[in-house]
Amino acid sequence: MGTIAIGEKRMSHPLEITNLVKRFGGLTATDDISFHVEQGQSVGLIGPNGAGKTTIFSLIMGELRQNSGTIRLYGEDIGGLSTPARIKRGVSRTYQVPRPFGEMSVVENIRVGLMPDSIWKMITQGPDREREIELALSVGFSENDLNRRPDELSMGDLRKLEMARTMATDPSVMLLDEVFAGLTKGEIAQIGELIQQMRRDGMTFLIVSHDLKALEPLIDSAIAINYGSKIAEGDYADVISDPDVRSSYLGVA
Amino acid sequence: MGLRWYHFALWAGFIILMYAMPDLVSKGTLRTFIFANFLAIFAISWDVLSGRTGYISFGHPFLIGIGAYTTAILTKRFDVAIEISIPIAVVVTMIGSTLFILPALRIRGSYFALVTLAFMELIYQLVQVIRPDLTGGTRGMSGIETLTRGAVNGYYMSLSLMLAVAISMWLLMRTRVGTALSAIGMNEDSVQGSGLSTTRLKLFAFLTGAFVAGLGGAFYVHYLGSIAPRALFDINFVFTIIVAALIGGSSTIIGPMVGAFFLTYLLEYLRPFLPGAERYFIYGGIALIIYIYQPKGIYAVVMQAWERLRSGKSA
Repeated sequence: MGTIAIGEKRMSHPLEITNLVKRFGGLTATDDISFHVEQGQSVGLIGPNGAGKTTIFSLIMGELRQNSGTIRLYGEDIGGLSTPARIKRGVSRTYQVPRPFGEMSVVENIRVGLMPDSIWKMITQGPDREREIELALSVGFSENDLNRRPDELSMGDLRKLEMARTMATDPSVMLLDEVFAGLTKGEIAQIGELIQQMRRDGMTFLIVSHDLKALEPLIDSAIAINYGSKIAEGDYADVISDPDVRSSYLGVA
Repeated sequence: MGLRWYHFALWAGFIILMYAMPDLVSKGTLRTFIFANFLAIFAISWDVLSGRTGYISFGHPFLIGIGAYTTAILTKRFDVAIEISIPIAVVVTMIGSTLFILPALRIRGSYFALVTLAFMELIYQLVQVIRPDLTGGTRGMSGIETLTRGAVNGYYMSLSLMLAVAISMWLLMRTRVGTALSAIGMNEDSVQGSGLSTTRLKLFAFLTGAFVAGLGGAFYVHYLGSIAPRALFDINFVFTIIVAALIGGSSTIIGPMVGAFFLTYLLEYLRPFLPGAERYFIYGGIALIIYIYQPKGIYAVVMQAWERLRSGKSA
């Protein structure tokens, strides 16, 4: 700890991926991908279905293990760590399909995200109710929603809950997987505003979305991948007008 | 932990009633109560291990048996004092329970249940084959030192142990660790994704469940004064424990305790009318009706009635 660690943190990128490769049998889902995300930046990860976007998220979180390549978080190689150990170091993700705890209320779901990874502390310290409610309200839940259960929530609410539980782990880098899928226009605006707020507060983002219109205002730059390879990187406007990207999305050159 | 006045009132009322029981019922009934107390301890142990996590143990006699045999062998064959042999038995049971974590790393649900069932079969064979001079082989052991004499003392001993276990486990599961274990049962991947080591949490559940099972097993053998492997390592015994926990309401601690009494008394009161195995039809039928009406058991039925009463009052 101390000044050296802080110095290192400033010098190295929050997230840096180098020559990452993941094969499933004969299929190369992640093919020698390298990129980094700078402090406080928001990067969009785009590509057609099956391009390998979610695989990259799973590799970063340690839910899948890479065949080769490195994943660095603030300069530290996290490629061999367990998922909880990575989360402790400040990276957290949401899932394309929300995965709430089905028989727990909104606040209880958030409670699990807030728990320290120490059984002793879980037993001896009570839940931080203020923080639970603060997180729930910050993603757009109302007071009435706090004791609702997942089966009473809309898709938009489930995504909010997913966001809140992810935020509860106190990340400095957030990976958002298809946060707008299945949402109404109002909900998209609401979650978009939440992301903007967190960007202003200095959060670093990597965002996967098919809804390019909703994604565009939320990102500083974009990375396009197809068949597991990076095909373009840079300004959103440049990436989206790249001929390879256009052909991968639209099937036309 | 969110304790309210009615929690204290209900526990106090229950404790007073239970301690007054020897003045209220016959000695024969008291012996039934003793069995119910031990069954409650085993059902609570099952609830701690399986009720929340969803890692269903079919091998609970494996844990109970380790506790029972360890203290039986130590006291009978090596003349170790009970005060020392029981703690050792509990520790050995907890060590034995770490075997459960091996399948739990890879499989869950019914596959996990089958592996734990295999553990039970394994120890059944082991006590018969390996060193029968120590374990008593197929015939088991008798003449084991007992802690108490007479039904009344046995009742107080079993009741005190059961209450200590029930209250401590009830309090423990009301903390965040109970929430975390429930979360594992609902979506284990999301618990990992919340930054919690699920292996450590599961190990905690297994060790705590084994602590209770070992304690119950050790005291049970020093109550009975004998040990019979065929009755202990029996699939019917497994089902009695699980049905007691489920019928009462799993993951509530109180539920399995209530379930154990309900089950014991149901079987006991049917005995004069139906002395044979037909009793199990009635008991199965009643269990089925409760499940269909409320899959979460008696505990949930009572809670619903209580909620209705409260909202009725305030309305």
